[in-house]
Amino acid sequence: MSNANHPISLISGIVVLSLLAILILGAPFLAPYDPVKQNVTERLEKPSMEHPLGTDRFGRDVLSRTLHGGQTTLISSVVALCAALIIGLLVGLTAGMFHGSIIDIILMRLIDVLLSFPFMVLAMVIAALFGTSLIHLLLAVVAVWWVSFARLTRSVVLHAKNETSFAAARVLGATNGAIIFKELLPKAISPVLILATFELGSLILSIVALSFLGLGSQPPAPEWGSMLADGRDHFMQAPHILIGPALFIFLTVLAFNLIGEGLRDRLDPYEKSEL
Amino acid sequence: MFAARYFGEDTFIMVKKELETMLQITNLQVAYRQGRQSVRVLDNLSLELRQGEILALLGESGSGKSTIAKAVTGLLPPSAHIGGGTLHIGSTLRVDMDMAAGKGRGKGRGKGRGKGKGIQWEGIRGRGIAMLFQDAQQALNPVMKIGAHFRESLLYHRLASPDEVKPISIRLLSQLGFLDGERILECYPFQLSGGMCQRVCLALALCLKPAVLIADEPTSALDTVSQKEVLDLLKITQKELGLAVLLITHDIAVANAVSDRVIVLNKGVIEEEGDTRAVFSKPRAAYTRQLLSSRSQIAKPSRERESSHAGEPLLEIIGLEKTFDGKKRVLHDVNLALNRKEILGILGGSGCGKSTLARCITGLEYPERGHVMYRGADISRLRGKGKRGLCKHIQMVFQDARASLNPGRTAMQLVQEPLQYMHIGNKGERETLARFYLHEVGITGDLLSRRPPQLSTGQCQRIAIARALVLRPEVLICDEAVSALDMSVQAQILALLQRLHKQFGFSILMISHDIRVLRSFCHHIAVMNHGSFSEVKRASALLHESKQSYTQLLLRCAGDMEEGLY
Repeated sequence: MSNANHPISLISGIVVLSLLAILILGAPFLAPYDPVKQNVTERLEKPSMEHPLGTDRFGRDVLSRTLHGGQTTLISSVVALCAALIIGLLVGLTAGMFHGSIIDIILMRLIDVLLSFPFMVLAMVIAALFGTSLIHLLLAVVAVWWVSFARLTRSVVLHAKNETSFAAARVLGATNGAIIFKELLPKAISPVLILATFELGSLILSIVALSFLGLGSQPPAPEWGSMLADGRDHFMQAPHILIGPALFIFLTVLAFNLIGEGLRDRLDPYEKSEL
Repeated sequence: MFAARYFGEDTFIMVKKELETMLQITNLQVAYRQGRQSVRVLDNLSLELRQGEILALLGESGSGKSTIAKAVTGLLPPSAHIGGGTLHIGSTLRVDMDMAAGKGRGKGRGKGRGKGKGIQWEGIRGRGIAMLFQDAQQALNPVMKIGAHFRESLLYHRLASPDEVKPISIRLLSQLGFLDGERILECYPFQLSGGMCQRVCLALALCLKPAVLIADEPTSALDTVSQKEVLDLLKITQKELGLAVLLITHDIAVANAVSDRVIVLNKGVIEEEGDTRAVFSKPRAAYTRQLLSSRSQIAKPSRERESSHAGEPLLEIIGLEKTFDGKKRVLHDVNLALNRKEILGILGGSGCGKSTLARCITGLEYPERGHVMYRGADISRLRGKGKRGLCKHIQMVFQDARASLNPGRTAMQLVQEPLQYMHIGNKGERETLARFYLHEVGITGDLLSRRPPQLSTGQCQRIAIARALVLRPEVLICDEAVSALDMSVQAQILALLQRLHKQFGFSILMISHDIRVLRSFCHHIAVMNHGSFSEVKRASALLHESKQSYTQLLLRCAGDMEEGLY
């Protein structure tokens, strides 16, 4: 059982994530080989002392590629998440503050459209229009991902508007800006942050999935999704080349979900009992 | 041990009522964990509730009175730690309270019994001890009809067959004054008023024929009229059924109106106990005397204080109408005038529209028709900058002081807030002003840098008053500003408002459901009923002159409950 006094999930999540971060960010020093250097004589080798996770079809070291690839995946998903978070917060605050006005209606219908539009198709459309690159992939992800943050923020704001402190701020002559940033934003920030840690997991999975489809970073740069795609053709003969990226994806998503759960136990006002 | 102490002092009670003990609490100890510290709330508390009596547990907030109720029903939050104590329910059931203490950690000391399994509360709650909560509307399940509540309780406890549920519940409802029980069973809780919900809750509690009924502030959220109604019903049914009732309250008038015996609780310790009449007419403990005196201080009829009547009124409300959702009419042709330096009280039950009126005056709501004239200009439809400018003239203090303050800011920052919004002064001047007004309301020293969660409710209300006054408004609207406070704090805040009023000379619009507060505090009282004013009278004359039946009803309800208190 995990609760605020014994934050098991929070601690274990942080421990796993920091280990991963050390491995991934330290890749230039820790990785035994150059991730893009090909060595055709050592194609599809089984795990050994020289290559702990084996080599891929061009003879590149899978471990080195996994560690380096993590940089691309992790950094791009964190950047995408931050962008989505900020857009979502701003949209949600605006829509909630001017609830029922034309701004609110337009924003909410836009959200409805985005929610009903298949995300993968949108990413492919963007790739088709602007060409495939990591930046375009991130644009597609952000364009869809802010929606959940906006919805959550708006509902928190609508709730907070019924509270006495909101009426008090109005009576004291607070401007709309002051109310949004001093009264409403602090109330929205903790639920949104909790949601963000959960979303980061699925965001990583989506980026990986899109890269797997060939929409993200282009070869020979290592990336977990494209590594999985690479290994697809050879996994009957050499299943080990999938293990590295798959294991790291699994651990990263798990770590973020654990942290999300721990944070919710800590911060969520509804889970906390009185006193 | 307990009995010996009791009989030694009032021997006649032993002769008069030698009745079965229904609930006995012995040496109950409860502490709350707060961070690393543990705060002791109840210290070796013992009490005894006998059959057929109403025992009032009287205490201010923080006295531990609700903790007792939660402890005996097993509803304490996880942060509570029960140090020990025994509970006897009826003549047969005995519960060791420390078995319920912190399930996981108690394992080692389980003395071989139960292996830390805790108490089987399901067998106690409902049949053994039934509970009545403060907010009846929230105690009921909002998505279940009243009939379904009865069905659930009766069938779960196997007290009726499915066919019998309806007649039983209708009979119970009619006992509690519902003539149209059948219609009530088809209602959802939100379709009933607060007073009706509390009566339904009482019926639900009674349908299980409990040994003991614990009522935790059952009428504090109700207005005077429904308060009286619920209390009368409680008393009548209790007498009929010979029920043992533990009534927890902060209100001396409530304890006085219904209880047979009273226990005065202060900081987890029993200060005094005895026959209700005896305790209130000849209080022995200093604390009881203090409670009674702060009460009479509030209720003292006002001295003649005349407001200036010269010139046109400062604030005038003409034909104000407000409807919600196009159908529910809240304000209907409201007319009112507030003079300079006048204190005007608005008296009304819950749902009469008095808070909506306050929100219309401060611009939080827009009225459909009518005008709010301030110094001859209509302010009811101002928007944007004009409306924000209004806050220099009209300010408001809310009922829930703590909720009206941003919990993240210190007292000093909170009071400077309106000055920042209005761009008044530079940083140094703002600080001086804030310090001055906080000093005026009695917030000084290290309290200045504390945040609302670290302050008492009374202190929060003082800060809210300072924050309202820092812009030097001409009109201060107090929306039930003292209703949520303890009696002694209420008296302090009212005295403070009176002093500030004399010093700064603003007008006050005092909204309350409590006739005592208004009678002592206001020059005039306007009585509001169903969205309009039925009359406006001089405060001192309201009692004698009023011919309105609604005012008379309010006065009678308040008067009945206070009978014999002075």
